[in-house]
Amino acid sequence: MRTTSYLLRYWQLYALLLLPVSYFLIFRYGPMYGIQIAFKDFNFFQGIGGSEWIGLEAFKEVFAMKDFYLTLRNTLMLNFLDLLVSFPAPLFLAILLYEMKILWFKKLSQTILYIPHFISWIIIGGIVYQVFGTQSGMINNVITGLGFDAIPFLTSKNEWLITYLLVGVWQSAGWGTIIYLAALTGINKELFEAAGIDGAGRLKQIWHITLPGLRSTIVVLLIINLGHMITIGFDRPFVIGNLAVREYADVLSTFVYRVGIQSGQYTLATVVGLFQAVVGLIFVLGANYTSKKLTDEGIM
Amino acid sequence: MNGKKRKAWTKKGSVVALILACAMVFGACSSNSGGSSEPSSSGNGGEKPSKRVTLKVEVFDRGNSPAGATITNNYLTNYVQKSFGDPNNIDVEFVPVPRSEEVEKLNVLMASGSNVPDIVFTYDPNTFNRYAKQQGLTDVGPLLDEHGKKLKEFIGEDLMAYGKYDGVQYAIPAKRANIGKYASFIREDWLKTLGMELPQTTEELYEVLKAFKEKDPGKTGGQVIPMGMTIANAQFEPLLWSFIKPMTDEQKYTLTQQLGSNDYPILLPGFKDGLLFMNKLFNEGLMSKDFGLDNDKKKLGEDVSNGKVGFFSEDDINPFYENLMYDLLQTNVPGAKLTPIDAFTNEEGKHPKPLYAANGMYIMIPKSSERAVEAVKYLEWMVSDDHLFHIQNGVENENYKLVDGIAVAMDDQPQDVLDRLYNSGDMGIISNGKQLGSQEKNLKARAMQMPSKFFAEVEAAQNIALTDGIEPLLMSRPIEAQTKYATTLKDKFNEIIVKTTMAKPDQFESMYESLMKDYMASGGQAILDERIEVYKEMQSK
Amino acid sequence: MKAYTADRTFNAVNFIILLVATLACLAPFIHIFAVSLSSPGAITSGKVSLLPVELNFEAYSKVFSNAAMIRSLGFTIWLTLLTTTLCMLMTIAIGYPLSKKKLKGRKWIMLLVVITMFFSGGIIPEYILIKNLNFLDTIWALVLPGLINPFYLIILVSFFNNIPESLEESAEIDGSSHFRTLLSIMLPLSMPVIATLSLFYAVARWNGFQDTLMYITKPELYPLQLKLYQMIQNNMITDLLQNEGSQITTMVPEGLKAASVIFATVPILIVYPWLQRYFVSGVMLGAVKG
Repeated sequence: MRTTSYLLRYWQLYALLLLPVSYFLIFRYGPMYGIQIAFKDFNFFQGIGGSEWIGLEAFKEVFAMKDFYLTLRNTLMLNFLDLLVSFPAPLFLAILLYEMKILWFKKLSQTILYIPHFISWIIIGGIVYQVFGTQSGMINNVITGLGFDAIPFLTSKNEWLITYLLVGVWQSAGWGTIIYLAALTGINKELFEAAGIDGAGRLKQIWHITLPGLRSTIVVLLIINLGHMITIGFDRPFVIGNLAVREYADVLSTFVYRVGIQSGQYTLATVVGLFQAVVGLIFVLGANYTSKKLTDEGIM
Repeated sequence: MNGKKRKAWTKKGSVVALILACAMVFGACSSNSGGSSEPSSSGNGGEKPSKRVTLKVEVFDRGNSPAGATITNNYLTNYVQKSFGDPNNIDVEFVPVPRSEEVEKLNVLMASGSNVPDIVFTYDPNTFNRYAKQQGLTDVGPLLDEHGKKLKEFIGEDLMAYGKYDGVQYAIPAKRANIGKYASFIREDWLKTLGMELPQTTEELYEVLKAFKEKDPGKTGGQVIPMGMTIANAQFEPLLWSFIKPMTDEQKYTLTQQLGSNDYPILLPGFKDGLLFMNKLFNEGLMSKDFGLDNDKKKLGEDVSNGKVGFFSEDDINPFYENLMYDLLQTNVPGAKLTPIDAFTNEEGKHPKPLYAANGMYIMIPKSSERAVEAVKYLEWMVSDDHLFHIQNGVENENYKLVDGIAVAMDDQPQDVLDRLYNSGDMGIISNGKQLGSQEKNLKARAMQMPSKFFAEVEAAQNIALTDGIEPLLMSRPIEAQTKYATTLKDKFNEIIVKTTMAKPDQFESMYESLMKDYMASGGQAILDERIEVYKEMQSK
Repeated sequence: MKAYTADRTFNAVNFIILLVATLACLAPFIHIFAVSLSSPGAITSGKVSLLPVELNFEAYSKVFSNAAMIRSLGFTIWLTLLTTTLCMLMTIAIGYPLSKKKLKGRKWIMLLVVITMFFSGGIIPEYILIKNLNFLDTIWALVLPGLINPFYLIILVSFFNNIPESLEESAEIDGSSHFRTLLSIMLPLSMPVIATLSLFYAVARWNGFQDTLMYITKPELYPLQLKLYQMIQNNMITDLLQNEGSQITTMVPEGLKAASVIFATVPILIVYPWLQRYFVSGVMLGAVKG
């Protein structure tokens, strides 16, 4: 009886779920048998089913590679720095935009700030070289023009890290504001008026009204970010990185590309992917659990 | 393909269909296993094709199709269909493969077991070796004997050896028209200003570079780059190979490391001296500071055209293209004179530099192909009569005029006539470069493609490229460790160059040691061991 | 008036920071624009920075006279519209039920979704799937595999969760069905996030080309970004080109590349200013009051 009434009440929701869940089963779970490649000596012509099982051989091979640990460390390091710098940047920018009272300027800068997201990394790479090059980069032209020594923004490890982070912020911050701006529309404007009458300054208002209004969005984004601590996009480190700074710029994605894809060793690529997936899932579930305990916010 | 089914799909998209599809997919993945790799016996017989068949041929897609043409439907594909397809009752279908994802796409096609073209190709010897090792290719030996007489003659026996894996002819190597790679170039007008002669040896070159730096004859305002350098092979190989000491055959065969198509001298005696020289040039400010970032030579091109570079090495004819280096340099710096020279000398006074292997790409027929016979016939057709010549040169008196047996492109061709040949290099797969029967003619034809004002320089550069050239070594069987580690090691090799060159002189030694250790541990040692083993086999035979 | 001065200082600082950031984001685009209008010689010599050198419109006349480019633009717009519509329908269809805390099995479905953020079968089984569904060389190969982005779904659910439950409950008391609640209450209240996610889907589809490299061989189904990628990539692969010997002639001129970048970017850039109308504050407030 209780089941019947439950179903009567909720059947529409289950009906809504039908197509999306089929989508996940077919397009996301359907190809997952490919994961077995990690345990097989993959032969292009035998296909996935026909290749020979090799157990954990490939895992041993990957875990014995020095470059695996180097790239793992770099992936974590770059992601951690991004979390400190690139994660708060859009939030900061979104608040500035929200507080901007000159409407035409607000709209204009909003539109321009997200342009870098649309420029492909290959082109960004060329521009970065022109701007940050040691010999005739625009910045160094100014620096040497003033009589100082050129700074190796791209070819010296620590300087490179800063360049990497700056370019990341530049490329993604504007785009990242969009989601916060959407969330900010939910804040009750009357709260600001009340605060203004109470004499709270702008910074105080931001702290007590704006930020709390963004809390659940921030938490959701943070959890997802933490889940991706061990995965890293290919383009940015590949395009900005170079051989002179390989001990920082070589990351898991470039490692997989070189060792797995370019060398035709799909087994090794799958092994690394599987490792990243398992760790990523643990991270995201852990972050979600912790956040639920602390703030009652989470992704599931 | 299956037109009906596709229509049904676009119309429905209902839940039922999706679930059916789900079942279909899971069914398919389990049955996919062996089916694709079964060798097909049906198509390989010699009987005349009675019904019309389809031959699928890979073609590189570079996204440069001119207006009105597509990569699968253009002047040359139509020519192939009319001249080869129709008389033989064959539909020739071209399967585009993105140029930059060549190997990745091929891998996926092979692994998915269908839609594989009947003719595939790659420049990458590792990919060829991998496919051959995994038993995915048709043995074309018998087919060539039966259907490819002219083809065999065209390629020649020596060259055919490049297409063998463990003695079996798994690929047909394309023929390269010219094997010269590199020349060096110097600003002769700068030398004149300084009252110096063209440098004949590495020592003299060093003096010249120092003078360029100190006296800045080009008046660049301190921006002079005495030696242009990048991290592309053309710039550092001539320098490094000139430091390699004379070797025994054993040293040569065992210590060379082939990574991809090129031989690398990393373990050869003298290599370290080459690095030391680069280190010296860099630390004395005689070399491009950002060379480690310039992997597409774009910066070098800019610097040369702006008259900042005094000396550099490059692919022999590259500086002479219209609207590129030299041409631009002449516009930007009136009176600039760029002269090909052969400056790097080894201890015997010679000018050694690498050559291309005599083969171009590897043309393969997958084992799953049912059209192996037609595939060989296609290649046979291409080398017969004047088909290759037509593909490379177009129509007489519209695209070219014959001068001493050499097709010279006509000036002022209308755009649509010119566009006929936009993909000729990718369609005439059997040859890399124009084939005219002799090296001399091939080179002349190559020089005549360049702007005529540079004819003398181009000829000189081509000659330099061939002087004391070092041919790539061919081992009696493929080195598996090379197939496996080449990509990683190629990166490490470049890293060694960049880092040891940029190191402070007192840190050179430790930098070199630690990087070499890493290189050897990452596969360099495995290659060395295997090469020693194979060399022993070669000796005992 | 101390507070007044502080307010003005805040506004001034805010203005300056945003101005600098805006200029930094605009400059590269202007540079590309300048390149697209310069002569080939000036570009190859690296003389172009923010203003065109030796102004010429040849690159644009080439782009606009190329029928394949124009057709590709049309196809890309159609592809993006179709993808965005279907993606949003599917994402809302799964997002709404998942925001209902009382729904049984909700957590399991969410876990099913989250797992796909990390685990995938890899390129080869995905290709085989598309092939077995007969989607190769059809628009569906580009639309269906990415129908629901788990990340966007999570954002949508989090927004739905933030809508006061009292609103939904009152609707339920009124006897409204779930469908009606979704259509008449949830969606109107969620316009900002729906606009945002539509933009995300649209931009991802517009900019994406990796799937087309694998699934599409018919030139009439090439999206703009694929053409652009090929043009740009053409001049980059020196390692490969080296083996080809001298084939420098196949290179695409830099000016044409830049003009194509502009051509392929501007249409999607203007989507956001258009969507900004949905970012109006206080929508929810009105609803709660009403």
